[in-house]
Amino acid sequence: MPAKAVTLTVPELTFWERIYLVEVAKGLFRTMSHLLRNLLPTLKTDAYALFGKLPPAGERSIPTIYYPEEKRNYSNRFRGRHILKKRADDTLRCVACYMCQTACPADCIDIVAGEHPVLAYEKYPVKFEIDLLRCVMCGFCVDACPKDAIWMTRDYELSFFDRKSAVYGIPELTEKPGDTAEGGPGYGYRPYYGASPMRKAGEFQPSGLALMPFLDLRNKAINRMPAPAAPPAAPPAAKPAA
Amino acid sequence: MSTDAPVSTVSFAPVLERKFAGRARPEASGRGDVPTISVDPASLHDVALFLRDDPSTRFDLLLDVASIDRSKLPAEQLPRDGKRFQASYILYSTRRNEHLRVKAAVPEARPSLPSLVDVWPAANWFEREAWDLMGIDFENHPNQKRLLTHNGFVGHALRKDYEAGQRWLCTEEDILQTDLASKTETAEDAFETMTLNFGPSHPATHGTLRAVFRLDGETIVAAEGECGYLHRCFEKMSESHTYSQVIPYTDRLNYCSPMINGNGYARAVEQMLGVEIPPRARAVRVILSEFSRIMDHLVCIAANLVDIGALTNFWFLFQAREEIYGLLEACCGARLTSSYARIGGLSNDVPENFVEWSRRLLVEVKKQVDEVDRLVSRNGIAMKRLRGTGLVTKENAIAWGFTGPCLRASGVPYDLRKDKPYDGYETYDFDIPVMNDGDNYSRYYVRMEEMRQSARIIEQGLSRLPSGPVNSDDYRVVLPPKEMVYNEMEGLIYHFKLVFEGIQVPAGEIYSSTEGANGELGYSIVSDGSGRPYRIKVRPPCFPLFAAFEKMVVGGMVSDAVATLGLLNIIAGELDR
Repeated sequence: MPAKAVTLTVPELTFWERIYLVEVAKGLFRTMSHLLRNLLPTLKTDAYALFGKLPPAGERSIPTIYYPEEKRNYSNRFRGRHILKKRADDTLRCVACYMCQTACPADCIDIVAGEHPVLAYEKYPVKFEIDLLRCVMCGFCVDACPKDAIWMTRDYELSFFDRKSAVYGIPELTEKPGDTAEGGPGYGYRPYYGASPMRKAGEFQPSGLALMPFLDLRNKAINRMPAPAAPPAAPPAAKPAA
Repeated sequence: MSTDAPVSTVSFAPVLERKFAGRARPEASGRGDVPTISVDPASLHDVALFLRDDPSTRFDLLLDVASIDRSKLPAEQLPRDGKRFQASYILYSTRRNEHLRVKAAVPEARPSLPSLVDVWPAANWFEREAWDLMGIDFENHPNQKRLLTHNGFVGHALRKDYEAGQRWLCTEEDILQTDLASKTETAEDAFETMTLNFGPSHPATHGTLRAVFRLDGETIVAAEGECGYLHRCFEKMSESHTYSQVIPYTDRLNYCSPMINGNGYARAVEQMLGVEIPPRARAVRVILSEFSRIMDHLVCIAANLVDIGALTNFWFLFQAREEIYGLLEACCGARLTSSYARIGGLSNDVPENFVEWSRRLLVEVKKQVDEVDRLVSRNGIAMKRLRGTGLVTKENAIAWGFTGPCLRASGVPYDLRKDKPYDGYETYDFDIPVMNDGDNYSRYYVRMEEMRQSARIIEQGLSRLPSGPVNSDDYRVVLPPKEMVYNEMEGLIYHFKLVFEGIQVPAGEIYSSTEGANGELGYSIVSDGSGRPYRIKVRPPCFPLFAAFEKMVVGGMVSDAVATLGLLNIIAGELDR
């Protein structure tokens, strides 16, 4: 290993550097070259703009993003607006266990639990609100969820006209087809599956029932529910959990 | 988690015993903690002089004064002496490369300690802070008044019986009182001197800082700095959050290099727990910390060049920073509020194209840095503006508690990455640039070279990035893999325990320091054995820098003060916490 510290000295200026004029020209040449390199493609950009079009991203050398016509491409870990995931039968995966509410450092999640008519699901959120003005978008709720029920999207355009509309409830938070459709924000931050070799995130469907067949049988026996279309719409006698 | 019993690691214990028998004694320090001695308050001043001057000690650099209110500790940890408050002075010896904590406890009835400003001038603001937030009175302190809270504030916020959520009105009179401004009218030499207010919202302060200058013509004859405008109660908030929940708060400390803060915090808690993180996590932390360091220096230099009139360079450097932000976002999901570190590892593995992406970025960063180097480093105007201004001698830099690039620009080669290597820095081949002039140009030039050295570290890290997991498999600390949580009872129980109770950190305390972009970023954490930190004290590198600002600018011009402030790189987020 080389010496720990390297002592730097102030560069000595040459005669030409001291009289400065040559240096001015050299400096101007350098900045001017940047200008031209940026300007020429920009002229092309302007030509596009004349016809109301965006230039292809590859044709520009300046990194400026033409927001809002053009938006930044975020990674699929981006921590934006939350969504509540649904089961295959269209009910919310959330079982109102209060884990995300507890893990939240900003104290922005408010849950009220109720008893779900499907016995296997046991609980569901009667109220699930996220105050997006308090939220710091840390993603701890996603990490804390034991049911893979809360994810985040890449939607970062969160602006509101009043504080009340910044509190998102179940209707706003429930995943919608538009979230993942073409042109939609797409999924962002989601549970990290760690070093587990089993499956990658996104492909995995947690299904407690499949792993606990006895429970499944018991449910089928006790709780002969019709095909679950009704539960989310009219949950009967929702009792808040103690 | 290993359970090695705490032992005393004080190297000069016999000398201490001979000189101060009974009044200062070594204490056992826990795993990973710095050596500790405990001092009787009455002899604190004598011990301090001994620690500074004795050849066997030579603790010349005062890093931090952490205060703690011990009244709410669990019964078995309550201090036997019954003294409620305790101040911990964190010292460092630049000659012997050793840290030391000096503890002095004071009773509630008379919480008073001798001021150590005359021993270590850096103590000035640290003691003011301890008085402001904990109410420890420092006798003979030259300027003991509120620092982080305003003058209308009642009580001492970090005391355990201070109820959070109280609001105190700050009237206009409370804001404007600085000694300097009020004395102007009455002083003998008031003729032709004027008071100039600078900040808190001024384009050249780059943050909510305030300084008041007293000017004779355009020369500054006296100056006073004021901070606290961005105080967000970080330390108070941490006490009501679990260890994991503190991580998002650390992002907001130095917001120009958030990754370093989070890594430093996570490492401090890991040291308390005795948890080892996997090699891949260590390498990724190093790589991203170095990227953050580059970003921080880019911001510092770019903004400062704007202040002294070289606007173009701002865009060159910010383009590089912009690209780095893209990489950080792909790793952690946010450009600035990264929250990437977790206690025991990282929140996610790095993306698949991480290595190629980083390599591509390094080329870009080096290109932009070289461009600015060519434009500025040998530029006559820049040299005239920066050379010889904001001078700090080697002795002053140490006395004022400087660390990081500003200390190295004054000729002291102190860098924790070399002196107290962590995260495997000892295996990387890099140099510590040092300059002896101690002026603004040195601070600029050292930073430029540091960016190149950081790039070297990143290249080495990328070329031998280990594969494997990025999280420890100790599920008492790290959330278990989701497969386990979804499918196994055991995993679910660990998960529940971690979320609801937090990581159970064994009782004890630690001072853990990281080389932040601005200097030594220290976390003093006291745990009472529960899931929430009992007390966290951050040692922000900017704090002593800004405290010294008011001394550095005297005798210079206002425009020199602007250049000085920019190259000290004061980040209000970590200054005020």
